[in-house]
Amino acid sequence: MSELLTTLSVLFIVGGTFVLLANYARLPTVPFLILAGVVSGLFVDERLTLELAQWGIAFLVFSFGAGVQFEAVEPVLGDGELIALGQVGVGGVLGVVFGLFVGLAGFQAVFLGVAAALSSTIVGTALIEQDIRNRLVHGRLAESIQFVQDLLAIVFVLVIGIETVTPSSVVMTVGSGLAVLAAGVLVNRLVFDRIGRLAGGSDELMIVGVVALLVAFLAAAEFAGISIVVGAFAAGLAVRVDPAAYIGVLNGVDSITTFFAAVFFMTVGGLLTVPTPTVLFTAGVLVLLTAIVKPAVTILLASYQGYTDRSAVLTGVSLDQVSEFALIIAIEAFLLGLLLQSVFDAIILAAAVTMISSTLSSRHSQWCYRLLVNSGVLQHRHERVDERSSVPDTLSDHVVIIGFGRQGQQLADRCTALNQPVVVIENDPALLAQLESTPAYVFGDAMEPYVWEKAAIEQATLIVSTVESTRLSEQLLGLADTVDLMLRAELIADALALLEEGALYVTVPDVLAAERLTDLIEAVVEGDRSPEELRDAHRQQLSANIPPERYD
Amino acid sequence: MSPQIALATEFAFIVVTAAIVSFLAKQTGQPTIVAYIVAGLLLGPAVFGVVTPGELTEAMAELGLAFLLFLLGIKLQLSAIKDILRPIVRISIPQMALVCLTGAVTTMALGFPLWESVLIGLAVMYSSTAVVVKTLTDKDEATSLPGKIDIGVLLVQDIVVVVLLALLAAGRPDSVVDVGLTLGLILLLLSLIALAAVVASRYLLPVVFKRIAEDREAFLLLAIAWAFLFVFVAETLALSVEIGAFVAGLAIAQLPYSTELQDRVTPLTNLFILIFFVSVGLQLEAAALVVYWQEAIIAAIVLMVTKFWIFFLLIDNQDFSLETTFLASVNMIQISEFALVVGAAAVAGGFIGEPVLGFLSLVALCTMSISVYVISYNHQLYERLSPFFRRWERETDRDVDERAHTDHAVVIGYDAVTRNVIPLLAAYFDDIVIIDRTVDHVTALSEAGYTAIYGDFRHAVIRKKAGLTRASFVLSSTAAVDANKALLGDVGPETTVFVEAEWTGDALELYDHGADYVILSPQLAAERLATYLTWYFEDRSRFTTALDRDIELLADPTQGSDLPLHSQHREESDAWSVDRSGGTSDE
Repeated sequence: MSELLTTLSVLFIVGGTFVLLANYARLPTVPFLILAGVVSGLFVDERLTLELAQWGIAFLVFSFGAGVQFEAVEPVLGDGELIALGQVGVGGVLGVVFGLFVGLAGFQAVFLGVAAALSSTIVGTALIEQDIRNRLVHGRLAESIQFVQDLLAIVFVLVIGIETVTPSSVVMTVGSGLAVLAAGVLVNRLVFDRIGRLAGGSDELMIVGVVALLVAFLAAAEFAGISIVVGAFAAGLAVRVDPAAYIGVLNGVDSITTFFAAVFFMTVGGLLTVPTPTVLFTAGVLVLLTAIVKPAVTILLASYQGYTDRSAVLTGVSLDQVSEFALIIAIEAFLLGLLLQSVFDAIILAAAVTMISSTLSSRHSQWCYRLLVNSGVLQHRHERVDERSSVPDTLSDHVVIIGFGRQGQQLADRCTALNQPVVVIENDPALLAQLESTPAYVFGDAMEPYVWEKAAIEQATLIVSTVESTRLSEQLLGLADTVDLMLRAELIADALALLEEGALYVTVPDVLAAERLTDLIEAVVEGDRSPEELRDAHRQQLSANIPPERYD
Repeated sequence: MSPQIALATEFAFIVVTAAIVSFLAKQTGQPTIVAYIVAGLLLGPAVFGVVTPGELTEAMAELGLAFLLFLLGIKLQLSAIKDILRPIVRISIPQMALVCLTGAVTTMALGFPLWESVLIGLAVMYSSTAVVVKTLTDKDEATSLPGKIDIGVLLVQDIVVVVLLALLAAGRPDSVVDVGLTLGLILLLLSLIALAAVVASRYLLPVVFKRIAEDREAFLLLAIAWAFLFVFVAETLALSVEIGAFVAGLAIAQLPYSTELQDRVTPLTNLFILIFFVSVGLQLEAAALVVYWQEAIIAAIVLMVTKFWIFFLLIDNQDFSLETTFLASVNMIQISEFALVVGAAAVAGGFIGEPVLGFLSLVALCTMSISVYVISYNHQLYERLSPFFRRWERETDRDVDERAHTDHAVVIGYDAVTRNVIPLLAAYFDDIVIIDRTVDHVTALSEAGYTAIYGDFRHAVIRKKAGLTRASFVLSSTAAVDANKALLGDVGPETTVFVEAEWTGDALELYDHGADYVILSPQLAAERLATYLTWYFEDRSRFTTALDRDIELLADPTQGSDLPLHSQHREESDAWSVDRSGGTSDE
């Protein structure tokens, strides 16, 4: 067995143990892999796995590129842009300033700035994955911010490769970079499907083809004299596909990326040396910048753009880590001798720490929010609610509807049709336009006392919540004695508990669907209705009245 | 300063060439293995001489072999072949002995010295797991009776290969006694780690993997770590890397997660094994290949014919029907890629020279290429040739309709939606297969008597296992459009498919893809609620009745099934907003 294989064995055995620990503590794997690398670094020489680690970088960046969905991000891009630029700008500048302050050369300080500016994509995305799926406001916002940051990171990597800053070299480098990226997009549009057809449905062939494509782009990048990171990203762009058609391929590339990325993170950890006080100090400041300053900037900007404080805070606490891109940039620079060991160490340490702290901050986001509110840092401004609400002066015996999505809209319409006065509460700025066409609405956070006051919730006859939030539901239960409550829950157990505590009715969407389903299935297997009948009838119904869709 | 760090160019060459050649090979229906070896030949000294394997390539090739055996171990689900285990052993052992003998005799007749002939015999007695399993799976015949027999025999062969490799790794023996001692030691050590693996499989792994199974990344990393652990231990005990990996796989095979894991490990294996086979090709000098080309062709023909007959007679002896016997035999006529593996190990151990490896490679290449076509048209061959085999036809045979899962119902995802449907389906279908990603559900459902598969049905292996093509009725409770589209692509034309969706646009798309009904949970919930709202204001008594009935439905466990519904770990996302469209556990 070759030495490389022995090294890998040790790395993975230690890595596996740490992964178990991470899972046990419900923390992200990336920082634990770095730690595992630190530990294995005591037994093996990490430099042996450097080449494999490079492939880890390539695959990681490749998967970033492949995951880019222009269409999905476009509508919300505007929101995220400003915040992303703000984060990067403030974080970056402060990082650089701090670096210069402790006496680092300008170039070294820039790397600190990069580390402070960019937010992680793997850890960050994992944190908000559920929220993106739930189409919650802050999920959407965080996603768009990360997208912009990824692009900025690529630009930075491109620029940092310029040998001597002369106009021609800048133009050459940027030009080559753009050319490679453009090639990626072209391949995607024109060539990729052809490759798919040639592979004839064999996942194995497609995966080999995709890896070969990656290799080709890496070679192209090297040939053009720009960083492989750009090449890998371009390769990712070339492979953006319809998930349904290439599900096997995406799974396969995923597995391969997991392997190589793990080697990358462990190798990074192994390259760390025993930290000196300076390193610890630098890392500490970096952590502060990332965990406190960056979220603060995010919250300020999000709030300025019209998001409620809660959404802003939740966005902020999902983006308070150091990015893998920063790690990649750091390791590349370090291996080329451009970065001091001390700065490298500081960045890696800060990354590991903030990835863990970010998970914790997300997990306890409610606590963070409360802390900020109670300490007076965030003041719930009544004027802001007043500005964006419209309610009649006297309200009583009305229906309050919380959440103005598809369901909320449908219910509000029904109330109006029944001649019942209705007030809608909603916190998503994207819905303001729609809200304004309803007779009565309050724009704000449904858990805030002032919003309740504004909507005269205690004088209502009926409150219908279309939001699956246990906290909200429980808060509303406080009114159960005077107001009828129709709530919503995801799980049956939750629903039963809410009913116990006084709710009039609790919708569990799955259960309602199940009932209907059972009837239909019975009809089909009994032979009373044919599948064709069902299909045609439903299809017609759907095509006839497609309700207004958002974020499709 | 230039920022680029050159990545191993040889690795790049290997991957790109292999990709091009294998795409070309696909057009002629050839297996990828053949393509990879040819790619290696092209790159190596035999043809263009562009690449000389460096340390990274060699390491990855070694890794490829380890992963291949790891995967093989994972697939070795004893339960699948339990009922035909005895006939399999009765077929495979004599088969190997006879083919080995034939191989040795043939090569001696062709002019090879004794020891080399023996080794060649030992190398050619296997059939190719890669070719057979892959081709059969693609034809969806892996679970047919001939398929099962073949796979069972291949599994026994794999164990023998693993032992042989360990023997070869031990180096040239001084005497027969030495061989015996080494063999004994190997078997002893093998039993020791096998024992450790079994114990771990029983007590340690279920606990460890259960928690981690729901995190895809961690799951795969842990499995890889497990493999490396055994590799490391095996290496320390002077057994081969491959044995360690194989045993590690075995330990996992008995867990319910093994199918899911297969799907995750396979792409990695494919990548590394590609490098292995290319490096085999790289090692071959043109001279070495050409030396024995005539002998190779003769040997290939002789071996293919003899193999068929040896298998045929042995399988027939076990009282299987003529068709089964023919098909099972004709699938196995090729020489395995393990011939190359054994050959390479033998060269490394100093047992044989490069030209012999070249000879083996040619034989393997010939037989594999031809057999791919034979397997693809095995049924047609049977139709054509069965008149000549009349005398082996029998009145009664032991064939049992082994095809698992036909005209059954498949339920994907066990949640509030499907939970109530399952008992209903049980009244109409004898066989219900349920796929779910939560271990507790799978365990509970299995105990309740259903066939429950742990895994993500995005994975082809899982879909194949559930027999979607032959299902009568399929219900998917995931709202993920890509997963449902993949599902619709896999079902048969007669299957009734109910899927879920969140958005009307998605629903219409799914109808276009062939869904019979799309459940729009959020819409259903909204309609229901709107109706209740009307009743609340206009017909209070009707409202109250409906409410009571719904609440009863929620609370009454016997209404649906009383199987536990695992309340998932869910991070409390307390910023609410937009109604969360009622999708179900779709991951």
